[in-house]
Parts: sequence; C-alpha cells; structure tokens
Amino acid sequence: MLALKRIRYEKSERVILRNMTIEFEDGKIYAMLGNNGVGKSTLAGIIMGLENYREHTGELYLDDISLKDLGVFERAKLGITLALQEPVRFEGITIDEYLNLGGKLRLSQDEIAEALKLVGLSKEYLGRYVDSTLSGGERKRVELASIVLIKPKIVILDEPDSGIDIMSNEMIKAVVGKLKKAGSTVIMITHREEIAMMADEAYLMCGGRLLASGTPQEIVAFYKKLCDSCDHINKPESEKIRGGEAK
Amino acid sequence: MIESNYQREFEKIAEYYEKSGGDASRFLRRDIVSIIVSGDKVIGRNTVEGVELKAKGLENGVEIWLEVKDGIQVENPIHLCTGYLKPEGTQLVLIHTKLGKAAKANFLSHCVFPNGKEFTHRMISDIELSESAKMSYEDVHFHSKDGGVTVEAIYNAHLGEKSVFRNTFHLTKTRVGKLKVEMKVNLDKEAVAEIESKVYEKQDDYVEIIEELNLNGERSSGIAKSVVFATDSSKARIINRAYGNAPYARGHIECKEIVKGGNVNVGTIPELYVKDEKAELTHEASIGRMNVKQLETLMAKGLTENEAIELIVKGMLK
Ligand SMILES: Nc1ncnc2c1ncn2[C@@H]1O[C@H](COP(=O)(O)OP(=O)(O)OP(=O)(O)O)[C@@H](O)[C@H]1O
Ligand SMILES: [Mg+2]
Repeated sequence: MLALKRIRYEKSERVILRNMTIEFEDGKIYAMLGNNGVGKSTLAGIIMGLENYREHTGELYLDDISLKDLGVFERAKLGITLALQEPVRFEGITIDEYLNLGGKLRLSQDEIAEALKLVGLSKEYLGRYVDSTLSGGERKRVELASIVLIKPKIVILDEPDSGIDIMSNEMIKAVVGKLKKAGSTVIMITHREEIAMMADEAYLMCGGRLLASGTPQEIVAFYKKLCDSCDHINKPESEKIRGGEAK
Repeated sequence: MIESNYQREFEKIAEYYEKSGGDASRFLRRDIVSIIVSGDKVIGRNTVEGVELKAKGLENGVEIWLEVKDGIQVENPIHLCTGYLKPEGTQLVLIHTKLGKAAKANFLSHCVFPNGKEFTHRMISDIELSESAKMSYEDVHFHSKDGGVTVEAIYNAHLGEKSVFRNTFHLTKTRVGKLKVEMKVNLDKEAVAEIESKVYEKQDDYVEIIEELNLNGERSSGIAKSVVFATDSSKARIINRAYGNAPYARGHIECKEIVKGGNVNVGTIPELYVKDEKAELTHEASIGRMNVKQLETLMAKGLTENEAIELIVKGMLK
C-alpha cells in the first residue's frame, strides 16, 4: 500500500497541498479528479520524489518503507513510476532506444512492437526520434508504451488522455487494462469521465486537499453537482461540503 | 590498397578505427576512394575514376591533394584515416580538397591516436567547392585514455555559387586531451553551409572551438552549431561567429554547453556582424546542467543517474 500522511507543500509562499492524507491499495485502479490547479500533478511529483517537489512536510510510505529520503531512482527501484502530464522530448534518442531504455530493459523487437501496437503506433515509429518532431499525442502514446514495458508496481498516469483524440479512449482503457492485469496499482489523473469510470475507486481533490472518495460514479456525480457551482474554487471549507473530507 | 610492408601497421590502426565506429574493410575495396596515414607515411591508398589523389611525405607528416573532377559524383564515401601509434611526437597533416563543378562527394575521416601520451596532431584542411558542388565531411576522433593528446584541426572552406557544404567534427567516445577546432567558411551566392562540432569532455580535458560563417554572397545561408558536454574539471571556450555581408544572407549560430560537476569551467561567445541591412542573423546559446526533467523521466523508469546521463548525452551528441 502507498500511503501519504498529512502532506503539506508550499511554493512561492502559496500553499499548494495543505493536508493531504490518502492511501492507494495494491493492484487497484484509482481516478484522481479535480479542477485545474488543485494540486493533482503536484501530488504526482511528490510521490515520485521529483526535485521540484522534495520540500514538503508529512510522511510517505510504501508498505513500511518511508519514501521521504529516497530519490527518484530509488523510488523507481521500488516499482514506482510516473508518466508526466507533459512528457519531455529527447534529442537523438529513437523510440526504439527509449522504450528499451538504451538497452537496459533487454526487450525483444516483438515485445516492443506489441507495446507500440497497444498504444496505436505502427512499427514504422521505432526509428523515429522522441524529439519535437513527434506530435503531442504521439509523444503521450510513446510514454504509455514505455510504462507498459517497465511493468511498474505503482504508476501515476498524469492525464494519460490529454492530447489524445477522444476516439482513442479505448486505447487508454486497453493500456490501463494491461497494467491492471499485470498487477500494477494505477493512479490516473484525469478530466475525462469515461476514463474515470474505469477506476475501482475515485478521489476528488480541491484546494490541495482530498475532498471526497468513493466509486467513480459517486465521485463524478458529486463533482458535477458541487464543484460546478462552487464559488470558492481551490479554497474548500470543509463544513460547507457535504460528503466531507475522506479519511 | 595497403602497401604490403605496412600490413601489420594497418592492422593495428584498423583495430582502433573500428573501435571508433568505422569499418576497416572499406580500405581494401577498389571501388572506394581511401587513404590511410600512419605517422608520416601514407600506408595505403586507392582511388577511382574522376578522383585524383596525390600525397607526399613531410618531415613530420603528410600532405594530401584530392580533387574530384567536374560533374563527378562519387558514390561511396571517401575514407580517410589518420593514425599515430607511438606515444610521443607530432604529426602534421595538410589536406587540399577540391570539388569541381557539380561534383559530389562525402568524406568520412577518422583520426586514431590511441596511445598518445605527449602527442600533437595538427591538421589543416583547405576546401574549395566549385559552383553547385556538394560535399559533406565527417571527422571522428579516437584518442588515448590518459588525455595526452593535443589536436588542432583547422578547416578553411570556400563555397562557390550554389554549392553545399556540411562539416561535422565529433569527439565523443574517448578522452579529448587538448583540442582546438577552427572552422571557417566563406560562402558565395546561394551557397549553403552547415558546420557542427560535438565534444564530450572528461577529467581535465580542454576544448576551444571557433566556428565562423562568412556569408558573402547574396542569399547564402549557414548554420554553425556546437554542442559540448563538459564534466569533471574540464574547460571549454567556444566562439560561434557569423558575418552577414550580402543581401538576404541568412545565418544561425547555436551553442549548447551542458555541464556536470562543480569544477567545470565553460564559456561561450556568440558573435554576429551584419554589413547589409537585408542580411539576417540569429543566435541561440545556453550553458547549464542537464535538463532535470529529462533525467527524472529516465530515472523514474529505473535508470541510474549516470545511465540516464549517458543516454541523454549519446542522443545529443549523435
Ligand atoms: N512554481 C510555482 N510557483 C507558484 N505556484 C505554483 C508553482 N508550480 C505550481 N504552482 C501552482 O500549484 C497549483 C497546483 O498545480 P498542479 O500542477 O499540481 O495542478 P493540477 O491539479 O495538476 O492542475 P491541472 O488539472 O491544470 O493539470 C497551481 O495553482 C499552480 O499554479
Ligand atoms: Mg496537472
């Protein structure tokens, strides 16, 4: 289980995450919902231990291992990985090399081709570079293929659907299905209802806090009803909100 | 073809030639223009119709003349290999290259100095492209591990009307030692140049690069680019310079220095000079550590920091 306890994170004198306590059980699919700017990507960065997000208070545990002093690589070794909302580009690295991690993964051409196929890219892409010549959606697809190939224990997909045409929801479902089958815990940050509905559980964030948790159906309904008419965007006052803070 | 009494020497050079990424069997082919220099001797050479190749020994090296006649398009890359196997000494290599009208040739040059402890290599290459000629020249270096190699590589190119020239210098697989690269290109009307240097520095390597575009002809255009990855206590000085001397001349210079380690010392100076109001020059320069997001992306997939750096740098220096 991945557990975050009372995470508080400030940046430029703004509180971004204020008292974030949240748990993710092994092998489950989670949907993280919430308006723009509520702190979803921040939470992802904190779980992965990215440099920009190291200065926070509160605790993070994977089972009984404290992650607090572990760097990105050490966390990856424990099986945690992250697909960024806006994946970076690499000059001079082909998709083939990228998926194979420069040879470290020792994948066969068949395995790579299969992962590409899963994300809807043909074999012709193998020799293309992971640089600015890929379209935004293609770059996202490459990232998803890469995640599938590294077989993570816990993966955060930060908006796997952004930049991907809506016709390709099925592709994302196939990727998440494949991860689930392999036993991964998947934390999907998403703004798309259809994607959220795949989850076993959903969380709603607001103003750097966890606002509610439940089935995706419940949370989506709750979100639509309350957040759409909310006049205190990102400044939740828990007494105003029925359903209250989870956990 | 290899001179029979230099067979052993050729084999030794071939070994390092292959380590630097070359295919030594090309030097044995009759359909490929090639020349191999070891120390102050030409130990092998071959040419094809339409390509004139002459060489003579100098006190400390060799002088080579290579001319591709008008209209000749050399199909296979012309292979040059300059080796020096002894640990000490100096080597001077003078190369005069000329491409006739509408001639076309690609060059692949490897310099292997695998044992240099106190060795200096000086190469001066003058290049003359006639109207509409096309030439690419790729220079790959392989140096010894202990940093005892000093290399000075000077290229002076004159590009005739509508000719196209691409020059790349790569020293990314081994220690550098001390390196000075100077590439100066003079462009006539509508000529196009692309010059590039890529260097990976380790320990106390020292690199000096000067790239210069003289855009003298109307509508001539050029790009001069340097990429240096400086680690440990290495030092780099880079000057990219462009002169826009004619209407509609367009030039772009670019310098990227990536640093790793607290003891590096790197600097870059972009210089742009315009003498014609219709010329247009741009530059891009950056010095900084490796892109953290790139590193973290790869580390989040299970690469160590060093593995991630290697992969990123390999891509950038490719
Ligand atoms: N360097 C910074 N300085 C100040 N504020 C920052 C900084 N970085 C992020 N923020 C703020 O932190 C808040 C949370 O950002 P985050 O990226 O986590 O949001 P998000 O929930 O992922 O939003 P989205 O749905 O738009 O991706 C935002 O209001 C953002 O403006
Ligand atoms: Mg976000």
